[in-house]
Amino acid sequence: MRIATPARVVRDAQTGVRRSALRRDLHAVVSGKSGAVALDLDNTHLDVASVIEEFTFRKSMQSAPVQRLVVALKKNGAADGVVERLAAKSPQQRVQSARIVGALRMYEAVPWVAQLLDSRDRSVSDAAARALGRIGGTGSARALIKAISRKGLNRRLVAELARAAPDLLVESALAEPQPQSVRPALAIAAGLRRRRAAVGPLIALLENGSRRERVISCRALGWIGARNAVPIIAAALQDRDWKIRMSAVKALGALRARTVKDDLRYLQIDRNARVRKAANMALARLNRGNAHGA
Amino acid sequence: MRPDTPADWDRPSPGRPVLAERRPQESPKRAERAMPAFHDMLSRLATLERAPVFFSVQEATLRALARRLRRIKVAAGEMILFQGEPGDTIFFIERGRCRLVVEKPPTVVTVALLADGDFFGEAACLLNRPQQASVYAQTDCYLLALDRQSLHGAMASRERDALEELRKLADQRQRSFTDTTVQATWGMLLKEATVVGVYSPKGGSGGTSISLNLVGSLSRRYPGEVLLLDLDFPYSHSALLAGLIPTSCLARMSAVPQESFEEVLLSGVLYHAGGPMILPGALRPEEADEVTPELITRAIAVLRKSFRYIVVDLGVTITDSTLALFDLTQHILVVTTPEMSAVKSAADAIDILIQLGTPPDRLAVVLNNRSLKPPVTKAAVERSLKRPVDLEVGFDGTRPEQAALEGVILALTNSRSELAKGAEALALLLESKHGRGKEAGPSSVEVAEPV
Repeated sequence: MRIATPARVVRDAQTGVRRSALRRDLHAVVSGKSGAVALDLDNTHLDVASVIEEFTFRKSMQSAPVQRLVVALKKNGAADGVVERLAAKSPQQRVQSARIVGALRMYEAVPWVAQLLDSRDRSVSDAAARALGRIGGTGSARALIKAISRKGLNRRLVAELARAAPDLLVESALAEPQPQSVRPALAIAAGLRRRRAAVGPLIALLENGSRRERVISCRALGWIGARNAVPIIAAALQDRDWKIRMSAVKALGALRARTVKDDLRYLQIDRNARVRKAANMALARLNRGNAHGA
Repeated sequence: MRPDTPADWDRPSPGRPVLAERRPQESPKRAERAMPAFHDMLSRLATLERAPVFFSVQEATLRALARRLRRIKVAAGEMILFQGEPGDTIFFIERGRCRLVVEKPPTVVTVALLADGDFFGEAACLLNRPQQASVYAQTDCYLLALDRQSLHGAMASRERDALEELRKLADQRQRSFTDTTVQATWGMLLKEATVVGVYSPKGGSGGTSISLNLVGSLSRRYPGEVLLLDLDFPYSHSALLAGLIPTSCLARMSAVPQESFEEVLLSGVLYHAGGPMILPGALRPEEADEVTPELITRAIAVLRKSFRYIVVDLGVTITDSTLALFDLTQHILVVTTPEMSAVKSAADAIDILIQLGTPPDRLAVVLNNRSLKPPVTKAAVERSLKRPVDLEVGFDGTRPEQAALEGVILALTNSRSELAKGAEALALLLESKHGRGKEAGPSSVEVAEPV
């Protein structure tokens, strides 16, 4: 719990005033009224990154506000300062710089941000992954895939890969030879992206992949809503591995596959309790769908 | 804990551009971004150069784009893009053939068949719109993918105009696909189109301008139902004069199999916002040889079912293709200027046409005044041609040249222009001879006074 000493109250007030001034300056730049802005990158209390993020939230790199900010920051050398600080000693500074780079979608800074993915400080590596997810593009996606191959399946890295990957990168990578940990991550990313082009590679993975890959590809097909994959997923209901059966049941429930209702009923008496539970839930979902349909 | 970074990173270096000079030497990204092999680079550049929109891009930018391309192999039958999904990548077809399909329940319409050198996905990438069509690989395809970030990284700073042009093209193609879909779902018109040939025996007579404006005039009555087929070889520029960027042409359809010919042909038609539609004959001079009489006959047979009027700009030379087209036309307009050489050539051309069996009432002579004080009078022209001039187009100053620069069609933008008035009079002439009576377009269309 933070104790509000008089000194802290005064400092917080000063920071608040500075933040408001920065917000006004950035607003002037974003609206095209001004072409210059000064950033105090050394003041970690000011949290410059969050103020910039406010202005670039859900805006693409081509949008006028992002472009104006980037131009203004490049003009006064602040962009260079941000990239310099990606190698600062202080993790807070590295995190802040990564966030600013991500908020400004600075694609040219990807090689430097990618290096931070290996940081042992979790906040730094997470901030770098988020920044790469926001920047997007082939460079960012490849950096994330490399980090996954080094660090293993990591939730943050996979989520950001799904966000950063351009069209057909994940799908084509699924069909290529990959290290052991990468293919499951790619399958999850493909599922999270919900692109139909991934259905073919995921079906191939379901038919020929390892146990883990088959489990993940089942779920991913369910997330995408690949109704044409229902017969192949239904075939996985007979698998000897309970995890694959459970994953197939969940996918069929998500797909509202009424044609396989009888197969799901059969799994209500499966020898594995978790499969039975999943089958009950999937059937309940299908029945709910029926009721809504009626 | 610090990551593995070069030791000199923490040293302050004011004034040094970080992005330009302080790239780490052993960065893992460095290895990924290594230059593609020489032959690979050549192949990438060749593919990019074939895309019409990159004609004007500087070579350095083209090389930067080529370096950033990502090669993808897609097996036959696989889906590449799905209609309605977001997208951020332009795909160039290096080798193979793809089918663009628009699903408009209950119908599924193939709006284009793309081959080597074509590209797709540009509308989603540049205009942030959902994919307008699904794309399937028809054969095993080798694609080169260029994502939004790479495109902007290479072009945003140096090639703003080219990027803007690319956006314009993306918008134009999107509208064209929409129109093709509408037309395909619409069904065929009950009656077949009237084919009108515009032939100028001497270059510089204004045949292309008259064709373009005639199409403009007719499409004011029948928007989307009038087509200009540009067979003015070897340089077909009608689309550019109308401010459109051609991406396909008739010549490229010579190798298309019979079963998909109709779809591919209609997908090559460019749609102008004012109503006219344009099909270029060839995009490059060397492609003109691909346009054979057989191809023209096949194309006209298909197009006649989909349009009300087909105006064919025939250019200067009389080749086998021109002769084949004379056989297919219902009306031929011979365009000449009041100059001795042009009138002599027109007289010879009319003789040939009469010998070919063209009925005199299906032939019209258009006298296009390209100067304020013509050296030969109308009466003298009629004496030389041994027949009356059916229509005289007044001198229009620099308006036609200005319109060509701006990419506008005078018949649609300036009804007071002499060229527009002439085109309107020609449209009335054609309507009187080949019009469909009560079927004719809306009566609200303002018709300019004939010249």
